[in-house]
Amino acid sequence: MAGAIEVKFYSLLRRRLGKASLALEADGLTVLELLLLAEKRAGQSFLDELLDRERGLLTGTMILVNGENVRLKQGLETRVGAGDTVDLFSPAGGG
Amino acid sequence: MNGWMGRIVMVDLGGHSQKEIPVDGETRRRFLGGRGLGTKLYSDLCPVPIDPFAAANALLFMTGPLTGTVMTSGRYEVVSRSPLTGTICDSSSGGSFGAALKGAGLDGLVVTGRAERPVYLYVHDGIVEVRDASAIWGLDTQKTQKAVQELTSAKASVACIGPAGENRVLFAAIMNDKDRAAGRGGMGAIMGAKNLKAIAALGGQATAIADADGYKAMAARLDRAVDKNPVTGKSLQVLGTSVLVNVINAHGMFPTRNFRGGVFNDAEGTSGEKIAESLLQRQSACYKCPIGCGRTTRTKSRNGEGPEYETVWAFGAHLGISDLTAITEANYACNELGLDTITMGSTIGCAMELHESGALKETMLWGDAARLAGWVEDTAYGRGFGAELALGSKRLAAKYGRPELAMQVKGMEIPAYDPRGAQGMALSYATSSRGGCHMRGYMIMPEILGHPVFLDRFVTAGKPEIVALIQDISAVVDSAVLCRFLQFAMGISTLSEMLRTVTGLDFGDEELLAIGRRIYTLERLYNNRAGFTRSDDTLPPRFFNEEFQTGSSRHRVVRLDEMLDGYYAVRGWDTQGSPTKATLAALGL
Ligand code: SF4
Repeated sequence: MAGAIEVKFYSLLRRRLGKASLALEADGLTVLELLLLAEKRAGQSFLDELLDRERGLLTGTMILVNGENVRLKQGLETRVGAGDTVDLFSPAGGG
Repeated sequence: MNGWMGRIVMVDLGGHSQKEIPVDGETRRRFLGGRGLGTKLYSDLCPVPIDPFAAANALLFMTGPLTGTVMTSGRYEVVSRSPLTGTICDSSSGGSFGAALKGAGLDGLVVTGRAERPVYLYVHDGIVEVRDASAIWGLDTQKTQKAVQELTSAKASVACIGPAGENRVLFAAIMNDKDRAAGRGGMGAIMGAKNLKAIAALGGQATAIADADGYKAMAARLDRAVDKNPVTGKSLQVLGTSVLVNVINAHGMFPTRNFRGGVFNDAEGTSGEKIAESLLQRQSACYKCPIGCGRTTRTKSRNGEGPEYETVWAFGAHLGISDLTAITEANYACNELGLDTITMGSTIGCAMELHESGALKETMLWGDAARLAGWVEDTAYGRGFGAELALGSKRLAAKYGRPELAMQVKGMEIPAYDPRGAQGMALSYATSSRGGCHMRGYMIMPEILGHPVFLDRFVTAGKPEIVALIQDISAVVDSAVLCRFLQFAMGISTLSEMLRTVTGLDFGDEELLAIGRRIYTLERLYNNRAGFTRSDDTLPPRFFNEEFQTGSSRHRVVRLDEMLDGYYAVRGWDTQGSPTKATLAALGL
């Protein structure tokens, strides 16, 4: 979809939501605004897997905008727009 | 004594003799147990590097002061010189064998010599019996474990080799408690060279605890921390280690087709999420472990354990294979035959690129899932081209005149994180004391997963200090001996509190870090004697010269030259990578 932001759900998020992605018709949002919108559209809460109660990123949460971790940008204030892909990973580990 | 059993037995299989190796309190305090004390004892027993398959070579099975106490403490460490790399090597395995060995009264078991005919050892009540194993030689690891339990006790925990170890495949694993593996470095081949098929350990004795109340409180805190932590309390339980497939792929550093690509288009089909909804029967866990990252799985025709992240990659993306059933069944075959899945898969990938480049005639094609299990079997039995795969990638690529196509460091194959995507991981691979291994210093934790803090993966500044620190902490955990996954939920202070309540010795954080540094330096000293220098602290040329064109690690190469000198300086090693006199003096080495 041309004017959409693609939000992809991985790990525990995907299991919770039962879906792998959502296309959101939106532009010029912060990542936090995008997350709130995605939660609304998904019809089910999931932000507690990614954020703490003060809406800060949990240790280990990975949010990638076009493959780049938002922690290296402006965190939850990072701006996203139509055509961007946002990957959401709740804290994960392995080896 | 608290924490330790105070008994290490050395068995000479050739001379039919046994003796106790005395270890004083100071040495225990300086090296703890497991990897640290094992490396110390090994360096004393075999100071001059010798052929790992020589009868005189020693093979150590070590537990630590925490073995058999808190959660995840069933592990053990196997220490010797690796036949694959020629470096000092310790290989770690979960399950409960470590707890059983210690419960049988031993902190460690040292095996030297070569038996004239196959034997197995039965350790119980502080003694070691050497018994005939002629009837079980040739059996796979699962049948061996069952047979040895029938010959000893149904309650015994058994570590053994399969056909791969018997045939001295250079990356043969030691398997215990069904499918747990001391996988890397070919420790199973050393057992084979000694004609040692298995070790059964029957526990029973509890580890004496110095401060019982403090221990209980600490264990309860640890329970809560592990439960509350989203990685140990949730992700590892539900999705296992393969949750990383999508994570690492999204970072553009999921090695594809022998590290020529960093994005695997079929990653989703081999992900932890996919395994959870298809093959997974249930979680499985090691001794006293509430995490249970193991996967008990079933394909249409078979069942077993795995695959874990590294195996999903080694038989999957690395070979251009997306057939999860084929990957899983190749994993089962490795478990049964006793092979390290990482080196096995990586070597097949190397052969595929050799074939594609025209250097190798043997037909090995990317994506050929149908032949996968056959290659694994041929390797274990040394049949046909399998006899060449059994050499590992470094020797194979050299034989066909293309050494640069082996994705290895010091002869050990690099696992499932492309170093172009994480500069600290690159430095960690290059300086790892057992070669291309992620477990010496798992920089993926800060550089990708953001634990305990998040670091920019493409930056080199500051990485030498952090790599050295993580290598040191890892050496302590491997010597305590605990599972590394606890590190998601605990820091070094929790570890010193565990050690204090169990042993009664007050190790501050600083002392623990010094122990880690001492162990890492001792390993380096051995490797220096074995001929390894600065020129071995490197990576295959691909990582310096070739850039990915797609994915979020595109246009990146490893910048090792920006980090290596700094790393040596942090470690107190000279420019050739040898510890200086002052460093040795400071560490009491
Ligand atoms: S976390 Fe996994 S590997 Fe570690 S002890 Fe538990 S089950 Fe074993």
